Amino acid sequence: MIPQPSEFSIAIWKRFTRHRGAIIGMVIISLIILLCIFAFLSPFNPEKSSLAEKLLPPSPAHLLGTDALGRDLLTRILYGGRISLTVGGIAVAISLLIGVPIGALAGYYGGKIDSILMRITDAFLSLPSFLVLILLAAILREVELPIFQRNSVLTISLVIGALSWMTFARLVRAAFLTLREMDYVSASRALGASDRRIMLGHILPNGIGVVIVEATLQLGYAIIQEAGLSFLNFGIQQPTPSWGNLIYAAQSHFTKYPWLAIFPGIAIFLTIVSVNYIGDGLRDAFDPYKVMEKVGEWT
Amino acid sequence: MFTRTRTLLFLAFMVILSLAIVSCGPRSQSAGTEQSITPDSTSSITIVIPEDPPSFNPMVADTGYDSLVMELVLLGMADIDPYGNVFPELAAELPTIENGGVVVDEDAGTMSVTWTMREDIQWSDGTPVTADDALFTWEAITDPVNGSWIPGIDYVDSIEKLSQYSFVVNYNTLYPNYLTQLGGEQIAIWPAHYCDLEQGFIAWDCGREPLSDGPFVLHDWLKGDHMTFHKNEKYYLAPKPNIDQVIVRIVPDDAVRKTMMLKGDADIDMWINTTVAKDLEGSDVVKVSMSPTDRWLMRIFFNLAQKGTVDSSATPHPILSDVNVRKAIRSAIDIDTINSEIYFGLATPVWSEFFRPPYQCNVPRPTYDLEAAKALLESSGWVDSDNDGVRECRGCSTGAPEGYKMEMEFITYPEFGEPLILTQQLIAEMLSDIGVKANISVVEGSILWDQAENGGIEQSGNFDMDIWDDGYPGIDPTDYIWEMYSQEALVPGFGNNVMRYNNPEVDALIDEAYTLDEASRKETFCAIAERLDEDVPMVYLFTTPNAEAYSARIEGIQSSVNDMVTWNIADWTLK
Amino acid sequence: MTAYIFRRLLQTVGLLFFLSVILFGLVNAAPGGPITAYAGRRPRPEKIAQLKRQFGLDQPLPTQYLYWLIGNDWTTIDSNGDGIKDSAGLRKGVLRGDFGFSYRTRKPVLEEIQSRLPNTVYLMSVTMLVALLIAIPLGVYSAVKQYSSFDFFATTFSFAGQAIPEFWLGLIFIIVFYAWLKNPWTGEPLLPSGGISSLGSEFSLSDRLAHLILPVVTGMLGWIAWYSRFIRSSLLEILPLNYLRSARARGLTERTVVLKHALSNALIPIVTLIALDLPYIFTGAVLTETVFAWPGMGRLYYQAAIDRDYPLLLAVLIIGAAFIILCNLIADILYAYLDPRVRYE
Repeated sequence: MIPQPSEFSIAIWKRFTRHRGAIIGMVIISLIILLCIFAFLSPFNPEKSSLAEKLLPPSPAHLLGTDALGRDLLTRILYGGRISLTVGGIAVAISLLIGVPIGALAGYYGGKIDSILMRITDAFLSLPSFLVLILLAAILREVELPIFQRNSVLTISLVIGALSWMTFARLVRAAFLTLREMDYVSASRALGASDRRIMLGHILPNGIGVVIVEATLQLGYAIIQEAGLSFLNFGIQQPTPSWGNLIYAAQSHFTKYPWLAIFPGIAIFLTIVSVNYIGDGLRDAFDPYKVMEKVGEWT
Repeated sequence: MFTRTRTLLFLAFMVILSLAIVSCGPRSQSAGTEQSITPDSTSSITIVIPEDPPSFNPMVADTGYDSLVMELVLLGMADIDPYGNVFPELAAELPTIENGGVVVDEDAGTMSVTWTMREDIQWSDGTPVTADDALFTWEAITDPVNGSWIPGIDYVDSIEKLSQYSFVVNYNTLYPNYLTQLGGEQIAIWPAHYCDLEQGFIAWDCGREPLSDGPFVLHDWLKGDHMTFHKNEKYYLAPKPNIDQVIVRIVPDDAVRKTMMLKGDADIDMWINTTVAKDLEGSDVVKVSMSPTDRWLMRIFFNLAQKGTVDSSATPHPILSDVNVRKAIRSAIDIDTINSEIYFGLATPVWSEFFRPPYQCNVPRPTYDLEAAKALLESSGWVDSDNDGVRECRGCSTGAPEGYKMEMEFITYPEFGEPLILTQQLIAEMLSDIGVKANISVVEGSILWDQAENGGIEQSGNFDMDIWDDGYPGIDPTDYIWEMYSQEALVPGFGNNVMRYNNPEVDALIDEAYTLDEASRKETFCAIAERLDEDVPMVYLFTTPNAEAYSARIEGIQSSVNDMVTWNIADWTLK
Repeated sequence: MTAYIFRRLLQTVGLLFFLSVILFGLVNAAPGGPITAYAGRRPRPEKIAQLKRQFGLDQPLPTQYLYWLIGNDWTTIDSNGDGIKDSAGLRKGVLRGDFGFSYRTRKPVLEEIQSRLPNTVYLMSVTMLVALLIAIPLGVYSAVKQYSSFDFFATTFSFAGQAIPEFWLGLIFIIVFYAWLKNPWTGEPLLPSGGISSLGSEFSLSDRLAHLILPVVTGMLGWIAWYSRFIRSSLLEILPLNYLRSARARGLTERTVVLKHALSNALIPIVTLIALDLPYIFTGAVLTETVFAWPGMGRLYYQAAIDRDYPLLLAVLIIGAAFIILCNLIADILYAYLDPRVRYE
């Protein structure tokens, strides 16, 4: 019998909290998220120029200095963080929305459905992903549809998400392949539960661990991808700040005003290291056998 | 399996493999067989550009980098200097009416131009450059399948060879720009005995491995990395050039190019923007050359037709079709602040299309006046009645529905670089101060300027306002004015009148400008300038200088809007 | 096994066809076209119309795909725009090795690729070799000493490797090693800012190595992270297994157990992983190549994306996809060969 969800999650949480790196990561990322959420408390407007104080180095008035239009860099990094984290979040949500159903259907039904869905997955895996990403970003940013406006956050997230769902599909399929043969699944099937109910209610919750771990890692990956696109000027466009386009805008000032590029880079760095640690902690937490014997030795 | 020795062996193998890859790595293919010149015994300069020139023929893709290298190896009949003076290259002298080179048939409205070429110029393989080469080039350009469109091509009826060194061009109209038709920054005379007409003008191999009659000869070209040029020993102005070797190095990143300049690893960085120019100010190593006249006029285009339509009389723009609104926007832009804060005072405020010699017109400068701008908007029925900072139509004259918000899309293109992006943001702020909301977007130039059927934003009228820099090439604005302001040019695909500006008076004036009479042309252009100043189909802001960074050890560099910086490379000397 | 390989090859062909249709549609859905290569502002309509005819873009999309795939030398085309089909087509089509002409340079796309490919293979193979040289010991040691401080630092190092945007690191490297630090003997910049080799000088190994250091270090961090994490977790899966316990019980040293027994088994997935990563040697690293002015495939592709050089974009994508599929096939076969437990269903 599987444990009740509540005690199950408590057990995971307990194991997770023993992972020191994950806890530090959790603290840092929460701090970053909180700062980004409360960015509006900043006395500065992220988009309004203040020409008298442009390109100032870090000082008590402007903790991280100002940019070429005199806008406070810290404020812009925080607002940029909203955008970058949103891009990451939406991208992961999109890949989950595509990847999980495909993997679930393939793994649960097997046979023809499985082989068709997996061929599609293979096809996507066969694409040189960053190259296609550049191409898609270049195409979509010129398109003007009601929700996908020029260079919008949604467009970039969609592009990144649409090219990174394959891992989810494969992971979920593998989980479904093993779990569908389990006794409790056969039991509920015998009791007349619908396929949908079995998939959503019985199998998915037990395969969720790998998905969560992967989703955490993908979040960091999506943020890096957005930054890379922005560096090539295919990302989100000014004046909306994102960590990527803040670095892009700082390029022409790199030698003279290095802080403009260094601080957004550090923001990306901290976020992704934290996210990776959380992912690592979650992996250990969901996979008790690996950890139990050696827990506590990490000093 | 993995004992210590084996591990060591494995490591050694990997290291050897890496070294083997390094030593067998790619090398540049040498085009010639000359012995390699050692750097100590020769003078050499390095030009850094962000991307490979597609070829030596600017008619293939017109990136500017092709013109840059074309100037090193190929000559045209005549070229233009930075001050707008045409000077002969292959021609012995410039054909004019006075010296009998140009014969005008007043009745028919046609003319013929006789070119006489120098007889002492030869290709780097020793073959003389003759009229056959010029005729061959024209044949290649006008080939219906593999040819190319060049300015004024439709005005030429025929070209005939007169002798080995002279030929005549027969025009079906009076064409003011005839001097640079077979020259200038884009057209060169190509070697008839070397280029393969079958391959076609735009695709032929000699466009990538050219034979030289210019100051330098291409020695090798590693695509995406560098090109090396050696002095052309057979150059007709020998002992010029004074520099033995020119290296063109491809460095995509702006910041890296600037650092290389400061480190002395690069000698010329082409087309730097004002931010870089400002950064380099005061350096002992790097100097900046600016063009004596400007060409690119930063301007805001107004769409007088409703967004998404192309007919300004049937579907007028709900906001911009009122000339007072356009004037108010013009008064609300503080050009001097933009210039000092973003362009470090290096831009020049300009308020007319005709701002540079030989056609300069005295139009009074519009004043920056926020209160006047607000008053104009109030009086035209645009009021902020709900105090949200954006005005609404309250009995406005454009026929927009009551309560229509003064909110518009404001587009620019990213390729210009940071200064324009910042300019756009500042102007949007300035407009918000008078209650006009401008929503910023940035769209690649290729999409902004593409044809209507490809979704080109300007051509299909899918914009409210946009800002970019435009200006006419060379010294004759006639064709440009027709394309930009005439009523015929407002039809998508026929011209660039994307404002859909329609003024019969201006149309009549444009027709008058097609004449060779300088004085009357100037009068006509100034009359046009006055009409445009009253109608405000666009706001002229300022011109930005064409600037090049160069190493202080080079003398003789002069940046130009009429050509690439290498236009006079044969005259450069090293200190 | 032959039947298995044959069946996989067939699948590969189908997959490639499917991908080519998708990619062709995608690339052609992009606005712009050959005129995008014109940096000159606003080309004339006459010029655009002529370009479109020259590149066959006046045809409907399915026809364009057909011509792209099998060529148009069996049909006649209207070459001068007068509405009359007057001359035979010149294209041979991808199936006969003709990927068309680049919009930007009017040269065969394959020539463009050939001129860049060696540079990318050169950079990427050195990067991956060096990354493996560092990642294997790192991964093995942190698996053996799981949860030690070494493991913690190795983990942090590899997370950092994944977390630093490579273009950002590259720019910082250039500032530090090119702009700031000087070679104490010659007074020249410590390391070059980019490119493959110094110009105007004879070939020298040390010069080549100096040019490699920054791009390789920038590019390899991600790979080290990727491989060392993978090796660590593969080893961790194997280390507690029974056959290793019995080896330990036989009195073998931990060192022998790990290196001789565990690693040789963990190598199977590692070798397959390397095979799967081989396509990167072809497609290159766009960002690193851009920062370090490396004339490779990634930059060629990026420039083509800016110019909307469809034929070039398509060729790189298709050849890239073909490489990936091929390497997948090799990886599967390798896996099957190395691991006798796999059956060829």
